[in-house]
This record gives sequence, C-alpha cells and structure tokens, in this order.
Amino acid sequence: MASCSNPWRLFPGMSPVAAASAPASVLSRSRKSTKVFAGLPHRRKPLLFGSSRGTRRARIRCVKDDSLHFDPSKIEPPPYSSYFDSTSGQLEPASGARASIPGKEYWPEGTEARVRAARAPAPVGESVGAPSFGKKPGSRRRGYKDQVASASAGDGAETDGDDDKPVVAVSESDDASEEPKDSLDEYVIYETPQEEKLSEYDMDKMMGRPHPFIDPAKAMLLGEPKTSEELWWHWRRKSEKQVWSRWQRRRPDVDTVFAKAMAETGQIKIFGDHPTRTEAALAKTRRHLYKEERLEAEQRRLEEIGPIAYYSEWVEAYKDKDTSHEAIQKHFEETGEDENGQLITMFQHQTAGEYRIMMGTDVRIQRDPLAMRMREDQIKQIWGVDPVYPTINYVQDPDEVIDYRGPEFHEPTPEVVPYLMEHGIMITKEELYARLNEEREDINQDITYIPEIKDPMATAVDIGEHSYNEDSDDEEEDVDKAVAQPESLEEKSKEGEMSLKEAIDDSENLTDFLMDFKEDE
Amino acid sequence: MATPTASALFFPSHLPPPSLRFPSRRATATGVRPLSQPPCAGRPRLQAPPPPPPAEQVAEEQDDTPPLRLLEPPQEDDPFPSEMEPADPDFYRIGYARMMRAYGIEFLEGPDGMGVYASRDVEPLRRARVIMEIPLELMLTITQKKPWMFFPDIIPLGHPIFDIIESTDPETDWDLRLACLLLYAFDVEDNFWQLYGDFLPSADECTSLLVAPKEDLMELEDQDLASQMLKHQQRAIDFWQKHWDKAIPLKLKRLAPDHERFLWALSIVQSRSVNLKMRMGAFIQDANVLAPYADMLNHSPDANCFLHWRFKDRMLEVMIKAGHAVKKGDEMTIDYMSGVNSKFMERYGFSSPTNPWEHINFSSPAKIHMDSFLSVFSIAGLHDELYHNSALPSVETDFVDGAVVAAARALPTWSDGDVPAIPSVERKSAQVLQDECHQMLGSFSTTIQQDQQILDSDVHISKTREIAIKYRLHRKLFLQKIIDSLEIYQDRILF
Repeated sequence: MASCSNPWRLFPGMSPVAAASAPASVLSRSRKSTKVFAGLPHRRKPLLFGSSRGTRRARIRCVKDDSLHFDPSKIEPPPYSSYFDSTSGQLEPASGARASIPGKEYWPEGTEARVRAARAPAPVGESVGAPSFGKKPGSRRRGYKDQVASASAGDGAETDGDDDKPVVAVSESDDASEEPKDSLDEYVIYETPQEEKLSEYDMDKMMGRPHPFIDPAKAMLLGEPKTSEELWWHWRRKSEKQVWSRWQRRRPDVDTVFAKAMAETGQIKIFGDHPTRTEAALAKTRRHLYKEERLEAEQRRLEEIGPIAYYSEWVEAYKDKDTSHEAIQKHFEETGEDENGQLITMFQHQTAGEYRIMMGTDVRIQRDPLAMRMREDQIKQIWGVDPVYPTINYVQDPDEVIDYRGPEFHEPTPEVVPYLMEHGIMITKEELYARLNEEREDINQDITYIPEIKDPMATAVDIGEHSYNEDSDDEEEDVDKAVAQPESLEEKSKEGEMSLKEAIDDSENLTDFLMDFKEDE
Repeated sequence: MATPTASALFFPSHLPPPSLRFPSRRATATGVRPLSQPPCAGRPRLQAPPPPPPAEQVAEEQDDTPPLRLLEPPQEDDPFPSEMEPADPDFYRIGYARMMRAYGIEFLEGPDGMGVYASRDVEPLRRARVIMEIPLELMLTITQKKPWMFFPDIIPLGHPIFDIIESTDPETDWDLRLACLLLYAFDVEDNFWQLYGDFLPSADECTSLLVAPKEDLMELEDQDLASQMLKHQQRAIDFWQKHWDKAIPLKLKRLAPDHERFLWALSIVQSRSVNLKMRMGAFIQDANVLAPYADMLNHSPDANCFLHWRFKDRMLEVMIKAGHAVKKGDEMTIDYMSGVNSKFMERYGFSSPTNPWEHINFSSPAKIHMDSFLSVFSIAGLHDELYHNSALPSVETDFVDGAVVAAARALPTWSDGDVPAIPSVERKSAQVLQDECHQMLGSFSTTIQQDQQILDSDVHISKTREIAIKYRLHRKLFLQKIIDSLEIYQDRILF
C-alpha cells in the first residue's frame, strides 16, 4: 500500500502531522513483525516519513492503541476549575459532586494492594510468537529461534532442493485431494428443473416480473381448522363435579348468561351446555352488530322515505294517509306548508300513549324480549336480586309475635344492689336483726322485771385469784378497789364541788369538762 | 574477567559492590553467540523506553564550549545490560490477565536466560516494597506432608496421576511429585502453565545436569558431582519407567511419552521450585511451590529481594528488602540457598566464581591467621555473615569479591584471641597453601585459558556441556583467586 487516505478527521488539538504519521507507524510495525519472522535482527524504527523531531517527541503514546493522537493541552478546558465555598471555606465541588475521597491513610486494609494492582498499566507491545499450549515448551523464548534456526540450518545444508520441495508438495497435495472427489462421481447426472411446481408468485419472482415481497399463498394460508380441543381460546373448564364447594363454581358473566339464554331459545348455537367466554363474547358482538345493522337500516329507511312517512308509524291517525314524497310535495304546493310544518301537524295528532310507545318509556311493551323472557335464576345472575327483598329471610309475617326482650335488653347489667333489694334477694341489716330477734327465744318474757345495773363492776365477785395475807391489816388488800374507790371518791368530792354524777348530769357533753388550761402548761 | 555487567559499576552504592554478585546463571558477557543479535533490539519493554538522544549532540562535541542543554533530556545510557533484550510482551500479558502484577520491573532475556531488572530507582525504604505479586491460582503447589493438598486443585478425583503422586515418599520425592503435577498442568485445558510453558527453557536450553549426557558430566571433572548426577538421573528414569513405560491410559501416557520429557520436567521443577510455608486457612502448609514469574529471579548471595506469602488474598509477593537501594537497571535477585558450587550445580544447574560459600579441602596442616587475613581485605562480620566492608576509605573494590570471602572461609585459619600473628610463619603457611592450590590447579586437565577459549569459540556446544565447562572454570578461578589473595596477604601482612 503505497499511500493510504487519512480516515480519521482531525480532532481538536490534533496536528495533521500526527495524523499523517499514524498510518506510518502502523505500517512500520507490521513491517517489523514480518522482519522478525525471518529471524533477522530488528533495528530501531527508522525515520522514513520525514516527520519532525519535535512532534514525534510530543506525541503521547497510549496503552491501548496508537490510532488517536491529540494534544491534551489543546483540549478546551472547562470554564472554571474550582471555587471556595463562602461559608465553610472548603473547596466547593463544581457540580454537587461528593467530597474529596480520603487519601490512602484512611483506606481499609487491603485496599491499597487492590488499587495498586488495578492501577498497574497493562503490558504494551505485540507478541510475535503464538502459544503452543504445552506442546513446545520454550518456544517463545529468545533462544528458541536460534535453536530452531541452527537445527534447520544443520538440516538445510544437506539438501539442496529445499525451495522446490514445498512447491511440489503443495501441488501434490492438491492433486491428492482432487482425485478422490472425481472417483466418486464418475457419471454425471443431469436433473430436470422443476418448473411446473412453481407457483404464480415463484414464477414472477423467477422471471423478474413485479411481485409482492411475500408469497401470498404462504402468508395468507389459513391452514386446517383445529378442533376445539386444540384451540387455546376455546379452553373449556373441567366439569364442576370435582369442586368441593358451591362457592368454587364460576361466577356468571353477563355475556355468558345471555349467551346461554340465547342458546336455550335457539338464537345461537353453543358447543356444550355452557358457553365459553369466547362464545359469549361472539354472541354479544353479534347482537351488537345486528343491532347496529338494524339501526343503520332504519336510518337509511328514514332518509329514503322521509321523516313523515317514517314517523307516521307511531301516529295512528296518519296510518292510512299517503306520506310519500310526492304527496308531501303536493301538499306543500297546495298549502304552502313545508315538510317540517307537516311533521309538526302529524305529531299533534299523536296521542300520549303513542308517544310513550314511541319513546320507549311504555312499560307495557317489552323492550328486550330475551331479557324479559329469561328465567329468574338467569336474571338473578346478571342483575342481581330484588334490592328490597333480596332473600327469603327478609320476608316478614305480619302476624308474628314479636320477641320483645324488655326496654333494657341491650343494657343487661343494671345496678346490682337495688336489683337484689327489689327482688327481695337482699335485705338490710336492721331488718335482719329484727327478724333474728323475732326468732330468738326471749328468756325474760315471762319473768319478773330485774332492773339492770349500769355499773358492770358492781356485781363483780372475788373469785379468789390472788392470795391475800391473813395477818395484814391493810384495807387495801382487797383487789376489788372499785368497791373501795367510790367511797374515796365520794369523800374527795364532798368538799366543795359537785359530785361526779351531778357533774355528768349537768354537762352537755364531754367538752364541758375541758377546763380552762393555761397556755403555759 | 570475573566481573559481570559493567552497568552496575556506574552508580556508587554503600552496598557491597556488584562484583560480589553472581553473574546469575549466565556466562560472562564476552561470549559471541553463533547467531548473535545486536544490542538494544526493538522489542517493546514493559514501560516505554527513554527517548533516543537527539542527533545534534554529536555535532556539539566538536565545539569548544558546548552550549547549555536546558531543553534536552539528560544523557543517559540504557542502564540495562547490553546483551539483554526485553522478553516477549505476552510473557507479562498472560499473567496480567490473570491478576498477576509487576511493579517497576522488566523481564529481560539474554543468551543465558531470563532475568528481572528494575525499571526505576527505588530509594532505601523502611518497609519492603512489592515488585511482583502472583496469585495462588497461577502457582503449582503440593504440600510436603500428607494429606496431599494441591493449590490450585487441578487434579480431578479419579485421575491416575494422583496414584502416582500417592506412591511417592513425602520426605525424598517432592521433586518427582511436582514434576508429575507440572506435566499434568501442561495437559489441562485453559491452564496457565500451558501458556507459561512456552517461556520455560526448552530441553535444549535447559541448564540442569539432569538432562546432561554422560560425556558432559565427565567434563565437570568432579567425580562426586558426576556420580551424584548420574544417581539422580537414574532415579528419575526408574521412576518414569515404573509409571510410564507400561500399558497405561493415554491421558497419563501423553503427559510424558519419553523419559527425556520427564527429565526435563524434573529439571524445571528442581531449578525453579521453592519451599514455602504458606498459611492457608487455619493451617500453615509446608509446600513445594512452582511460582510462575518469581522463578525468573536469579540468585545472588547478597540478594535484594525475598518471597513473601500474603495470606489476605493468597498472593505470593516478591518484595525488595527494606533498606536496599535499587537503581534502574539493577537485577532483582533472591537468595536461593547458601552452599558450595556443587550444590548449586546439582540443584539449579549453575555455578559462580564468586560464591562466598565455596569450599576447598586443604590437606596441609598450614594455617594462616584469620583476623589478619580478614583485615587485609577489610572483610568484616561473623563467620556466617562475612562481607566486604567497602565503606572504608582506603579500600580497593576491584579485587575483593565473593571468592575472597569464600577463601577466608575455606582456607585453614587459626585465631586465638589477640595473640598476634608472626609474619614469617604466616608467610610460610601462605606459601604452603599457595603451592597446594597450584597443585590442585594442575590436577585439572585444562587450564583457565583453555577453558575460556572453549567457551569463547564459535563452535556450538550444548548448554549442559557449557555449564559443565563453566563449573570447572569457576573452580579454577576460585583457586586462582585464592592464590592471588594469599599473594596479597603476604604483601600486606602487618608487622
């Protein structure tokens, strides 16, 4: 290749010399590789292309490939480098980037080894040999070529026709490979071209006539109709016997019930007892289409025969009248009343009943025959039950006796004590005592009256607990000092003041006995 | 002659100079390969290379006063060694696609194999810095003890390979197991190892002595090592014959159709596997692991990387040791093990003239004073951790390397508190030892120059023969170094 056009456009910062020298380096490198194969020593890359020294030195050699050369200083720098944040004084990142990554003093263990391994540059340079995968150890060493060269040199000196041999060998191998082919097919068999089997499309294609891109026979081939078992959309649910609860049966769909009703009345045909959703959808669609078709027909009829003739169907008075276009025209010419006026006149002859029928609000006319004629359970499946009396349970017997539980049926725990008292379960203490007293036997009922002594100690008797000295003259040996005491008390209180009894009788309550104590005491 | 790539010497560092490092499974960079490739080949690196210096500067050198160069990048050579070129980009790409990552390193291939080089400067840090992380799914892992656990579990339940693995002895046959697993992994569909196997050394390039024929083992001129290797080979072939050389189902047979393939797999396993204690779940599994990209790391006694298992996400990490400054172009290395050259040859298939653990059995009773020997070469540290102290001002950095450290360990020495060494006695014993070294050098069939000539010639020799020749060359170099160091010792011994 004597010259190669520069396929790379100039990137900013690239010098054309660099671009021009790039293919040069590629060429020289390939040339070097061929040199090495011959076993000759390779020299340093000669400067054959006249590029100046300065650009060659300024060129930066990447690790990956040498095809792109650019001067990094000529790349347009970003419009800013960095700012200091006004509040913190730290370097503000240019675009909301994260804070600076800490240095390697803060890295966890083992990170530095991994980072160093990742940063190690990949080896540059192309290898001249190829791996032998264990077959020829030492084949990529420097000394191996010498050995091979010396070995081959030793062998080559013996034979002279070395150059001829490989050529001869190649041709011989070619002959050897061709012969077995010919030996197998000795007789040539001619095949007649199959032209009759070509379809119209294939014929057109072959002859070059205009034809569609795809073969219509293949593209529009319907194929054999599948049975309903194969069709995936006609999947039928398994029979209901396997379910163990009525709640597991399928919920009826509006369309499904309608389709079933239609099938029962014979309007559509379904396969099986219950329509699938497909069949139901088909029936619904068909109904809808029929309705639309009918409506369109009606619209066409209206347009065709005119509104007066159309709506005279609903007006009994105009049933026998001539309402064709000609009659209307004649009437217009006679009376000057145009079509709309005649229409209004006609409607003035319509009765209210006829009007209701026309608008469809007459309930006596069944609007949807199938819906009216559906069975009750079918209706229930679609529209649900009666909102007032949805179930049997809500039907009420007017003669029923109401089970009245009382005004406080909903507050069943009243106050306990008055309840018990009321019902005579509980009585008061006084009454209890009263009753008990009544029941108790009164000993004193038929006995003489005995005045009760208020002083309990008055009837105290010495039962001989303590032993006394017989010899002592002491009057106070008598234990029962109460006997002696009142006499002493009486003696003491005789003097001036009132006696105790008189004081007690005179006092209102015990506070009268609180003397006037001096505060010092 | 013993110093590897010159690029590392540009940069002053407080570490022991790179001359102490191994040339890392590679020959010295003087060989001319039969089909040599010019330096700085154009394969792309993992990161973009620095721009080529502009051509104007060539003309400016002729001016008297070169103008200020403000706008041009600073002149810097490609810090990577010149014969290394970047590996196939697919090498990293197949891992990158499976979540393996490499940070700040380049995989470079040279005539002697692949290596991992830093692609940017790293200042000495307080924490180890990850340069590679390899997920568990890429590795091939078998636990050392029973019950066998494979991570990832690629062996289906009824596969006959499991019976083979089951029949191995966990104490001794860990490499046979892993070889079976590797061969099976090559057969599993969509397995990473099917792709990675193309970057493993092939049978011709493999430097393990397991695949070496008998005459190459004879080139070693070390009877013990040769017999050991024969025993190992026989063991492997016996194992293969026991399990593969009979009527077995095809899915087992095609894994190792011949014993060479099995030997190759075994050599890969022995040289590239590592024994890790990995915490998986609740337990710590003692596992033999084939880790894909970490096995490209070469060995150095003063390594700057180590392997670490990250339990959190089950990654094997290769991390730069804390406190190690790394310049762009430094090779990332790992300490495989500390042992003599024959141990390295047996397991890994490489040797080094500056192995600080090299040992020579001296039979003479002469001894030299250890402290004075160490101080002559300003080697410091305890016996297990001898290092060259290059921070001292009056020190020459060219001569002292790992071989001198090994000499300090190998030579019979005495040290008795602060009893001083008598110089005449020291000189005498040094002489005796030098003579013994000369004797040992003479016992080899070829001289150093002859070996160098064989390696430098254009004749194509197989890899295993090459490493066998290198092994004996390194041994001779070591002996020569001992002789030279004893010479210097005799000169510099203090009164």
